[in-house]
Amino acid sequence: MGDTVAPALEAKNVGRLYRSSGRGVSDVSFSVAAGEVFGLMGPNGSGKSTLLRVLSTAMAADAGSFRVGGVDGLKETRKVRARLGLMMDRPTHYNDLTGMANAYFFARAYGMDEGKAGGVLAELFDYFDLAEYRDDKVKTYSYGMGKKLALIEALAHGPEVLLLDEPSLGLDYTSQLAYQRRIRELSEDGVAVLLASNQVDEVESLCDRAAFLHRGKLVAEGTPEDLISSVQGVTRIVATLRNPVEYGPVAVVEGVQRIVPEGSDLVFHCDERPGVVAGVVAGIVHAGGDIVNLSVERPNLEDVFVKLTGEALRDEV
Amino acid sequence: MRFDRPDAYWKKDVALFFSRRFALFLKMLYPLAIIVPVAASGMPAKYAAAVIGIVAVMAGTFGAGESLTIDLNDGILVRVALTPLSPYRIVFEVLAVNAVLDLVQLLPALLVVYLLHPVSLLWVLAATLAVFATLVTANCIGIFIANFTSSPADVLLYATAILFPLIYVSGFFRNQHPTGIMETLRGFVPFAYTDDALKTVFGLSTDTTPLEILVYPTIICAVLAFAVCLTAPRLLSQRL
Repeated sequence: MGDTVAPALEAKNVGRLYRSSGRGVSDVSFSVAAGEVFGLMGPNGSGKSTLLRVLSTAMAADAGSFRVGGVDGLKETRKVRARLGLMMDRPTHYNDLTGMANAYFFARAYGMDEGKAGGVLAELFDYFDLAEYRDDKVKTYSYGMGKKLALIEALAHGPEVLLLDEPSLGLDYTSQLAYQRRIRELSEDGVAVLLASNQVDEVESLCDRAAFLHRGKLVAEGTPEDLISSVQGVTRIVATLRNPVEYGPVAVVEGVQRIVPEGSDLVFHCDERPGVVAGVVAGIVHAGGDIVNLSVERPNLEDVFVKLTGEALRDEV
Repeated sequence: MRFDRPDAYWKKDVALFFSRRFALFLKMLYPLAIIVPVAASGMPAKYAAAVIGIVAVMAGTFGAGESLTIDLNDGILVRVALTPLSPYRIVFEVLAVNAVLDLVQLLPALLVVYLLHPVSLLWVLAATLAVFATLVTANCIGIFIANFTSSPADVLLYATAILFPLIYVSGFFRNQHPTGIMETLRGFVPFAYTDDALKTVFGLSTDTTPLEILVYPTIICAVLAFAVCLTAPRLLSQRL
């Protein structure tokens, strides 16, 4: 009889609907193997946070089940909690305590030895460039520093499964690189990571597999490469404008499917057809836009989501 | 024992208590500011005892209730509840540490009372334990209320509704010589034993013995603490 290794995280037909709105998640099934980084993407209200609440045992599921390292997440919640490392989208700390006091409290709450906790935390504070601020009260921390502290608290006790909700949002560039490097190292060491994020670049570069949530249901799952290859005939045109313009008229240019603003950029999802780039440029100029940079790119996961649902992954303006 | 690196929930609360220096100064000052003038005045014993009893009831109720609702609002309590710590243990530690910290606030004022109104050591012990029982009871009420609201202001509102009948029954102001059902009910309210012990300290004899004050409130508080700890799963769950 061959050995079967249980997935590090396995959700089967998980459902949780809010009575007040009828929204939530329903019939969500997926699994994450040890050492795998699994991306979960979906727009606001798609059910990502609800699913993470269920999987983190903050909220009971209405239906289905999930297991962490083979342990039933609905029946043996404390055992499951001991195996998880959590980072919520909104970092919360005891603001009148120092960063180190917060991290130490959580490390010990997860059962770390007194001696080991000090050493591990010192290394993590150093790794995330927080060593200088570790004895400052958290109320003096910036948002990004609070996020880094939350990451330290999630990682310190050496969890088997990491549940991370928008971990890189608010991190500076250097910290993002450090965090991504650490996630890769942990993955190589066998830690399973569930990464809820709408940062397309982050998911494409970090995740072995990704899934899309749309209106509470999982609509697609696969490797980023496979998902992107499913988008045939789509071109992304990214235009950086000197000044914001009313870009509505560009939407009527033949071949333009959708326009999504991303920071100071406008992203045009277009059919791959001759003349579409020229049409978009002409449309922008006609609308009064001053283009300072223009790139034509291969499709990414955002385009996959648009194709699957007809909706944007991130909010449109 | 290091409080700058708390390794338990109660140590975290102790660290927070001492970290806010101005708040700490006020917390230590206000019982002295209220109780010492009362103790030094010639106020009738029953009213002096009532004032101290009310201060203890208020300090206790808002101690745990306020800190819990603030932590619930911040989301930090739910985060702590997602660690492998037992929720029952968390709530017990919330109750115990808040009651002890409340006693730390009241102790200097009580010591002044004992200095101004010397009584036997047995009555000092009985009165101090009775005040502690009142603090535990009041903290239990605060924790119970936090099950239904995450607003510190609501704690004040709900506490009033719960405390008024208890204060009435305990005999701080009315119901001082109860009979029948009111006498029986009074025996189940720990505040009543504080009232009797403090009346004795201020020179007014009551029928309650030091042994009764040491035993009955302890039993009642144990039952209350057990009951309020049973609310832990609800109290620490995510509020939506």
